[in-house]
Amino acid sequence: MAIMISIPAGVLANQQTATDLASNLSNTITQTGQSINQTLTQIDCSLASSFSGFGFQAPNSTNFDRSQLGQSGQGSGTGRTFDPSQFGGGGTRGQFGGGAFGGGQASPMNQTLYNDINSSISGVVAVEPILQASEGNNETMSMFGRTFTRQITSYTIEGIPLTSDLIDNYPILTTNITAGRNLQAGDSGVVLLSENNSAYFNADVGDTIQILDQDFTVIGIHGTSSVSDQLTLYMNLSDAQSVTNNTGYITSFRVFAQNSDVVTQVARSISSLHSELTVTTGQERLTQLQTLQSTYNTALDSAQASIGQTQTTAFEEIIVVVAATSLIVLFVMLYTVRERTKEIGTLKAIGFSNSTVMGQFMLEGILLSVIAGVVGIAIGIVAAPALSSLLLPSINLFGNTAAAGFTRNVMPTAAASVNLELVLIAFGASVALGALGSLYPAWRAAKIRPAEAMKYE
Amino acid sequence: MSKPVLQIENLCKSFTLGKRDINALSNLNLQVNAGEFVAIMGPSGSGKTTLLNVIGCIDKATSGQVLLDGIDVGSMPESQLYKIRRDKMGFVFQTFNLLPYLNARENVELPMEGKIKSKTERKKRASELLAMVGLSGRENHRPQRLSAGEQQRVAIARALANNPAIILADEPTGNLDSQNKQEIIKLLANLNLTQGTTIIMVTHDSQAANHTERMLLLKDGKIVKEKEGLHLAKKNNKCPNCGSTIQMNDETCPACKKPIFSSDELFST
Repeated sequence: MAIMISIPAGVLANQQTATDLASNLSNTITQTGQSINQTLTQIDCSLASSFSGFGFQAPNSTNFDRSQLGQSGQGSGTGRTFDPSQFGGGGTRGQFGGGAFGGGQASPMNQTLYNDINSSISGVVAVEPILQASEGNNETMSMFGRTFTRQITSYTIEGIPLTSDLIDNYPILTTNITAGRNLQAGDSGVVLLSENNSAYFNADVGDTIQILDQDFTVIGIHGTSSVSDQLTLYMNLSDAQSVTNNTGYITSFRVFAQNSDVVTQVARSISSLHSELTVTTGQERLTQLQTLQSTYNTALDSAQASIGQTQTTAFEEIIVVVAATSLIVLFVMLYTVRERTKEIGTLKAIGFSNSTVMGQFMLEGILLSVIAGVVGIAIGIVAAPALSSLLLPSINLFGNTAAAGFTRNVMPTAAASVNLELVLIAFGASVALGALGSLYPAWRAAKIRPAEAMKYE
Repeated sequence: MSKPVLQIENLCKSFTLGKRDINALSNLNLQVNAGEFVAIMGPSGSGKTTLLNVIGCIDKATSGQVLLDGIDVGSMPESQLYKIRRDKMGFVFQTFNLLPYLNARENVELPMEGKIKSKTERKKRASELLAMVGLSGRENHRPQRLSAGEQQRVAIARALANNPAIILADEPTGNLDSQNKQEIIKLLANLNLTQGTTIIMVTHDSQAANHTERMLLLKDGKIVKEKEGLHLAKKNNKCPNCGSTIQMNDETCPACKKPIFSSDELFST
């Protein structure tokens, strides 16, 4: 009965996981779709990523010290991996992560190199320079007997130009403010944290926090509007440049086109003017999103298949358990009837009807099963998570294709728990199985002929 | 003249044992009147228990007629026979056959369960019956806490539960020592005297049989001999020893001063 209660609990938990996952995914897709629709005139530009893994880059470096990079890049436990000064002086720019989990790393570039975009390409109405840099720790993990080191991002700084011209006319600020206020034109020395940041810094609106040894006042908290901004804190671009020691450098910029008709033309012009840039239009991002959506759908299909498999296994196991329970009751009751042949004969001799005798033994079988059931349910309630994971195939929603960060953020854990409904069903099942298993023994008891039963010792 | 409570005509009962047919009872005729105390004796295999089982409706006759209170039970289906057993019969077994997990009173209540709805009434009657067999105060004792004699008293009380037409006792003293044997026979005889209960008792024990009013000797499935027992004299208010008049409640004969019942002397007769 413990098994009977644990298996459905496990199945339910897995179903719940899949439901949660599906709702998470569709929320993410909806949110991203909305944000793209708002910014169809927007073109993202950054230097082509040289690789998309974890680690550090120091382009533009004139006296790049490779040994120092190696030291820093492989990290040593929890050492800070951000400080640009580690990479030697001069033009060396610090390492930059490209947003928490959103599309690899971006390389820093000299802001002034791209001033011509605004002035020389027609159809461009505004350019928003952005500096994005991540801070984190190295984490060593073992998998399949090998050791890997990867960077766990603690937070991502995103510096945006807080000029009223940009803020008032273009969607450069996040909109989902859950506490405090949004950034405003002219803000400096203040920071807008995500909810994750708030927990990481243990800071609330009005508190002062230290970012890379500089003090900032928390002006507000923003809610998550997409997976990629969960760890992002926003501040003035110049603050970001100064705090990360990247004055004059940015990691990307957004170009706003006059209207959606000229977006493609503008993007082409940017590409031809600066072939080193990766230029992505809103339309392209939409296409990317569609690709992502199909990946999500594949993942969901895989989840469904996984759950289907789980249910099949659960069904088979329950069949086995039901059969075993009935057989146990059957044999115990057959033994009981045999042991009590004389008693049955006596009962019939003193006037018990066949149906009364049969009912009596059915009742005993049911009682036996119910007692076992109650014990089983008690064990099941305590041991359901362990038992269900033991008895059910572990649910594999994403196979090996999932990005670690992505699944970590959106995939809930399946934990089997027992609810009242399950307990009642299990109780009902124990009554039914008791009745089923004792049916034949009880019938045998009813058919005992008293005259013969009396001779039985 | 009492009316017959049991009439058996041309009763045959045969078993198939391997390839042989065994006639346990052949063309047996018997009539027992209401209020009689009858002993059936005979050597092993003479058909005593078979006869008792057929009378008690727990075994079926091969042929012949069995009328209980005028009802032909031979043709009754099992779905009705259990009511005859419950309402008209009271069984007393050699091995008592009490349910070990029930106390004395609950054992006595058992046959009433299908008949008396009120639990309070069943309890009351069971306690009265236990008092009648001399077990007041022992109601809550389970069989293992009672002596063999006491257990058989409980069984007798259980047999009386539904005020049956006949009590069928199969070797009721077979598992008892001589002291308890006398007690039980005395109890049965007294029940017969005071309550008018019809008793048919199968026994090996000629002393026990002697205390009934009619002894039947069974041999090869037939009644071969019939004899009066001492109980008849007592029933007719005569001392079984000297023949002088006695009262029903007398323990000793006023004339010969000998104990009327349960004396060793009587048992050695």
